Amino acid sequence: MSTTAPLTPRDETPETRKPPTGEPVFSVDGLWKVFGSKAHRVPADPELAALPAAELRARTGCTAAVRDVSFDVRKGEVFVVMGLSGSGKSTLVRCLTRLIEPTAGTIAIDGEDVRAMDRGRLRELRRHRAAMVFQHFGLLPHRTVLDNVAYGLEIQGLGKAARRERAAEVVAKVGLEGMEHRRPGQLSGGQRQRVGLARALAVDPEVLLFDEPFSALDPLIRRDMQEEVVRLHREEGRTMVFITHDLSEALKLGDRIALMRDGRVVQLGTPEEIVGSPADDYVREFVRDVPREQVMTVRTAMRPASADESGSGPALPPGATVSEAIEAVARTGSPARVVEDGRCLGVVDHERLLGVVAGTEQPKGVV
Amino acid sequence: MATVTATAPRPAAPGLLGRPAVRKLAALAVVAAILVPLAHARWSSGSWPAALTVDVSGPLTDTSTWIIDNRDSHPLFLYFFGHISNAVVLAVRGVYLVLLAAGWAGVTAAAALVAWRVAGWRLAAGTGAAFLACGFLGMWVPTTQTLALMVVAVLASVVVGALLGLAAGLSDRADKVLRPVLDTMQVLPAFAYLLPVVLVFGIGVPAAVLATVVYAAPPMARLTALGLRGADKEVLEAVESLGATARQRLLTARIPLARKELLLGLNQTIMMALSMAVIASVIGAGGLGDRVYQALASVDVGAALAAGIPIVLLAVVLDRVTGAAGEALGEEPHPHGRRLWLVALAGAVAVAVAGRLVGRLDWPDAWVLNIAEPVNRAVDWMTAHLYSGVPVVGGTADWAGRFTTWVLDPVRDGLQGLPWWAVLLIVAALAWLIGTWRTALTAVLAMAAIGVLGVWKPSLDTLSQVLAAVAVTLVIGFATGVAAARSDRVERLLRPVLDVFQTMPQFVYLIPVVALFGVGRAPAVAAAVVYALPAVVRITTQGLRQVDPAALESARSLGATPAQQLRQVQLPLARRALLLAVNQGVVLVLAVVIIGGLVGGGALGYDVVFGLAQGDLATGLVAGAAIVCLGLMLDRVTQPTERRARKGA
Repeated sequence: MSTTAPLTPRDETPETRKPPTGEPVFSVDGLWKVFGSKAHRVPADPELAALPAAELRARTGCTAAVRDVSFDVRKGEVFVVMGLSGSGKSTLVRCLTRLIEPTAGTIAIDGEDVRAMDRGRLRELRRHRAAMVFQHFGLLPHRTVLDNVAYGLEIQGLGKAARRERAAEVVAKVGLEGMEHRRPGQLSGGQRQRVGLARALAVDPEVLLFDEPFSALDPLIRRDMQEEVVRLHREEGRTMVFITHDLSEALKLGDRIALMRDGRVVQLGTPEEIVGSPADDYVREFVRDVPREQVMTVRTAMRPASADESGSGPALPPGATVSEAIEAVARTGSPARVVEDGRCLGVVDHERLLGVVAGTEQPKGVV
Repeated sequence: MATVTATAPRPAAPGLLGRPAVRKLAALAVVAAILVPLAHARWSSGSWPAALTVDVSGPLTDTSTWIIDNRDSHPLFLYFFGHISNAVVLAVRGVYLVLLAAGWAGVTAAAALVAWRVAGWRLAAGTGAAFLACGFLGMWVPTTQTLALMVVAVLASVVVGALLGLAAGLSDRADKVLRPVLDTMQVLPAFAYLLPVVLVFGIGVPAAVLATVVYAAPPMARLTALGLRGADKEVLEAVESLGATARQRLLTARIPLARKELLLGLNQTIMMALSMAVIASVIGAGGLGDRVYQALASVDVGAALAAGIPIVLLAVVLDRVTGAAGEALGEEPHPHGRRLWLVALAGAVAVAVAGRLVGRLDWPDAWVLNIAEPVNRAVDWMTAHLYSGVPVVGGTADWAGRFTTWVLDPVRDGLQGLPWWAVLLIVAALAWLIGTWRTALTAVLAMAAIGVLGVWKPSLDTLSQVLAAVAVTLVIGFATGVAAARSDRVERLLRPVLDVFQTMPQFVYLIPVVALFGVGRAPAVAAAVVYALPAVVRITTQGLRQVDPAALESARSLGATPAQQLRQVQLPLARRALLLAVNQGVVLVLAVVIIGGLVGGGALGYDVVFGLAQGDLATGLVAGAAIVCLGLMLDRVTQPTERRARKGA
């Protein structure tokens, strides 16, 4: 496991797809969650901490769901935690607001220690700073859509008229106008999750936490909802932590992705880094079927331009995907230039592009 | 068969020992091989040895005498039980006076209008008709008495049950303590509750109300706890993630999420309260139950029926209206709900005032339909023509007689003829096979307690009736259940019948069997069979129908005949449901066999009735304790690992 230490791409990729700016919102360091009696012994003891899951259970009866996880969620980014079921990702997101009490490690929100918060302060955090969207929606079946959306405001003690007014705005924002007085039981899955999303948005939180929000939905509805999230993020720029087991969802939404396995983060990086340079065989196996040309950018696929190439051929920005470059190259029949601020950074030709698609070329731009 | 396997030592073949059932029996055989010769050498009587009994009647009589002597002077009674007793009397009296003041028209209108708001027009009409029928049968006053007692008992049961349920639903420790108690209370026959309350409160309305509360509160408590615990975990998590306080979580999420269970609890509590309020006539409840009780004592079937019909009508109306309230939960509330409730309230008041002005508060005598006489004439005709001597089939009394001599007597004599240790061994073997060694220990201790109390023989008599009734119930019940599971038409025909039968209080079942079979042990068994049958049929049908359709389909695709499908797929896969049906059958049969003491069933039930009638509380209490032990033992030997809610009658 030690060979797969999380990458720290922060300092190497200052300008990925949507450059997140500045300081971390959530800062997690050395986080452990162990279930079982005397769970606190496990992180404290280096020998136990190094054991694989099955052996740990045999020795102590404990299950380590999250093991020594560290990452920062930066302001304004969509941070995706991705892994198969049982990898600890849902436990991890619940630890952030202590819906599950962590065993060891530190969590800070805007620099404030979450684990040190008393009940009142923690409630404050949950009410105003981080709101969560759940896989199975978690709606109150006996309330109307409007009252479900207003529920978080009601908990905060807001008056009836004020909270309904605010709720109506949010209901409109997620596209549920006209359904305010229905009950969750009368809605489709996608509509229910829109209610769940609206409920989280209504309290105007600093961070939105999504726990596999679209896993229970049909593929078409899921795509709609993903686009809804992309739209919301574009409009409001809210920080999001998004848990999913679906790789394509992770690649589509994530500014950065933490890939988890057996409670550990095995790789942390931009979608391009994960797909382009997997940290180990597990990750490589994982991303094998990803259409690489849609994730990789020409920045990583390009080679230095020779003197005569830098003057001609179609121009592409460095963030363009390889599939866009293929189209341009196929259309013009000549290598494409990668141009930033009027300066030619390099070129991509048939050979480079085919190398990316075939996966034979190890891009040198990253790692 | 259990006898053979339990007592005869098995050859210890290693292959057989691999099976847990065989291992358990082998272990039991070893224990028996050591203990039985010892026990046999010391106390070699067939029945329970006298040396092992403890005479508790002396101390019990002393206690009862002490309580009677001190009821008016001891501070415990003056300041605690006395206050409870007075409060109950006042409350019942208050409700009764309100009902009287409203008059028959007012009460009927109020009931119908409540039914209208809760359950719609059709049930409102049915409710009104049912109340009027009570009047036409000349039972208006007893009906009001029963209603007054019910209102107080149900309110108290709901409050007590909901509080206990809240504790058990929110605290794991309270749940651990309460659950076994509530589970056990669910399986005990109603009769077992009568004597302890009589001991403290004496015969009268307070005792009747408290016995009813003790009997009716457990389902409310269980279902409240179940609802609170069964709430969708993710909803609660979502509520918590929004920063709700513990109080907000309880009031805005947990309780509303448990509404279905709460209403089901209310429904069950009402049905159990009605059942008990009728039985409690034995300890001075008055009202409809008392009319039935008095009529049965003088074998006046007509009068018993006149009082029995209102009981059934009340039961059906109460069940349907509260059930409809539960079903209406999922639906959109009516936009003018509140205004319509006001309309209903105003209507009821208007009718009551109108009744007062007209001066028609009491049910007019001229409107009473006397059904007792024609019914009795019909019963006399039946006695003369159907009781015996009908060619070929024989009469009903002949059947009862034959059932007694050919089935009940041999089973009873067989049980009583068995050495006492053999009975304990059988109990241990059955309980261990179905559960753990703890189950076996509880069952054996309960059975041994019966012997220690010195009521071994009457208990075995009761047990023989239970066994015979259970056997008949299961044969008929499984056959009907299989038929209903295989044919939609049979199920459609059966459903309304089962619905009505499952809502009727136990007591009512005694009336038709007395009419048909006279008095004795056979009628008690017949009543028990009829009472337990609907539950067994229903559980069997549901169990067979819920069998995984994929398994059934694959059997069909392999070309299995219907009989093969039933034997090889449906029955094995429905095993849990069938075991549950057996358990429910046993519990329900016991409850009615005990009540059968009122119609000549003898044994433990008779001891309770006798103890009450003669003021000999010691005899009654011992019999009551034996009933508790018997119920516990029977439940344990038929209870597979998990427990479920009991039927609400």
